[in-house]
Amino acid sequence: MMRGREYPWKRRPGWWLRNRRYLAFQLRELGGVICAVYGLILLDLLAQLPVGASAYTAFLNLWRTPPMWYLNLVLFALVLWHAISWFMLIGKAQPIQFTRRPLPWKVVFGVNVLLWLGVSGAVVYLIFGGI
Amino acid sequence: MADAEVVFRVKRYRPESGARPAFQEYRIPYRHDMVVLDGLNYIKDHVDPTLTFRWSCRMGICGSCGAYVNGQPRLTCGTYIRDVHKGAVTIEPLSNFPILKDLVVDFDDFLNKLASVKPYIVRKDWGDLSKEYTQYPEEVEAYRQQSLCINCMLCYAACPVFGQSHEFVGPAASALALRYIRDSRDEGADARLAQLNTKTGVWECTFVGECSVVCPKDVDPAAAIQTLKFLATMRHMRRLLMPGAASR
Amino acid sequence: MRESVAWNPGRETVRADADEPDQVVLEPLLWSLFSLGGFITAFLFPVTLFLLFFAAPLGLWPSDPAAYSTFLARWGDPIVRLFFFVLIGGSLFHGTHRLKYILMDAGFKGPGPETFLDLILNGVAILGSLGALYYALRGWLFF
Repeated sequence: MMRGREYPWKRRPGWWLRNRRYLAFQLRELGGVICAVYGLILLDLLAQLPVGASAYTAFLNLWRTPPMWYLNLVLFALVLWHAISWFMLIGKAQPIQFTRRPLPWKVVFGVNVLLWLGVSGAVVYLIFGGI
Repeated sequence: MADAEVVFRVKRYRPESGARPAFQEYRIPYRHDMVVLDGLNYIKDHVDPTLTFRWSCRMGICGSCGAYVNGQPRLTCGTYIRDVHKGAVTIEPLSNFPILKDLVVDFDDFLNKLASVKPYIVRKDWGDLSKEYTQYPEEVEAYRQQSLCINCMLCYAACPVFGQSHEFVGPAASALALRYIRDSRDEGADARLAQLNTKTGVWECTFVGECSVVCPKDVDPAAAIQTLKFLATMRHMRRLLMPGAASR
Repeated sequence: MRESVAWNPGRETVRADADEPDQVVLEPLLWSLFSLGGFITAFLFPVTLFLLFFAAPLGLWPSDPAAYSTFLARWGDPIVRLFFFVLIGGSLFHGTHRLKYILMDAGFKGPGPETFLDLILNGVAILGSLGALYYALRGWLFF
């Protein structure tokens, strides 16, 4: 067999622009990384609490006024996509089965959205003290 | 209807020429019920006998005819021209594999990966081989979905991780491993999970999920890999926390 | 030791002395933390970030939940401290794991670069989680 003349394969750098599922995947990955960025931002916020009101408020307002505000909105959008895609993937990653066929992922997605609403309500009341 | 035509843009590669792969166009008669494979066979029979491609059963069970049709990995025997006829039908060999000639790719690596997950029943003790091993319908159902794989390699063509890292065991081989792990007659789960709990095993997968989207048989290799990650983790924890305990 | 790939399915038995391919040790544990962090961030981040950064500036909430005095009052509750510790720890382990895979896919492959990534990224996650633990316990325990 003439192996030496095979045409080798090399993945193109723009592979994820090939279709919208690849693009959604890359944005989902980015959203995951942004979660860590927010983790560090929250850590910094907690670190300003003992320093005092002006330090804490200055740091908070940094992220709530332009131009960082716009960046914050973009980062938040990515985190929302991370959350939505996570709920969509749970049904696909670990099929939950009570009958002959596993539950369709859309059903699991719906249940997770309902759970998320419940958990968010609990956070509003238990963590932030209600409306 | 008889005068209708369609243009096929086919990526050609001649190993003896030394040139890069390039598109060649063919204008062929078109009927409403043709599949892409019919078009390729028409080209080979009446227009250009040098066009080289794999095919066999023409009914979506042998897994031979995988190719990229208009940018999507598909079985050419299972793709109607009317569904992909956007001016021209573009046909390329499957991505992520070296090209041997025209639409024919080299998949020796794929076959080695299939063999590496021990795709056969493994038992410590075979017992009386004159009697059969019975299985209830529920036990068959546990592995039936993964057993439907026809080894067409569309999932490997769709997987960007495999495209970058050729040592990755890949979707079909992983689904095959799960098929045997879930088989009630099998006792080789530990050996297979050991094979998959490696740097080039299931941990390379980032759950892009495109493999399950393109699979013509709904094997859902993406879900199989996530299940294997979970099983490999459980086995790993057992070995860390209870060394020396007997494994399945 | 390579096993023969000759197909002899009727007679293969499990051998106790068979060699195992090189097992990864940390990856299953890191993946578990990544998964846990994924659940934590998916369920808790949207509402938390909304209340901290977007609710008041957009006029969508009657008061500002993130205002210093309001937040400090809530910070006295151990549940709130635990919440933020879990949120920060989970998000760090989740995000650094994703970043590792993004970088590996972009070309950081091989034992050298991968060990480097493992050290740096997990180091950030561990240090960040310890920092969150420190601030969560500060003023509540004896210090």
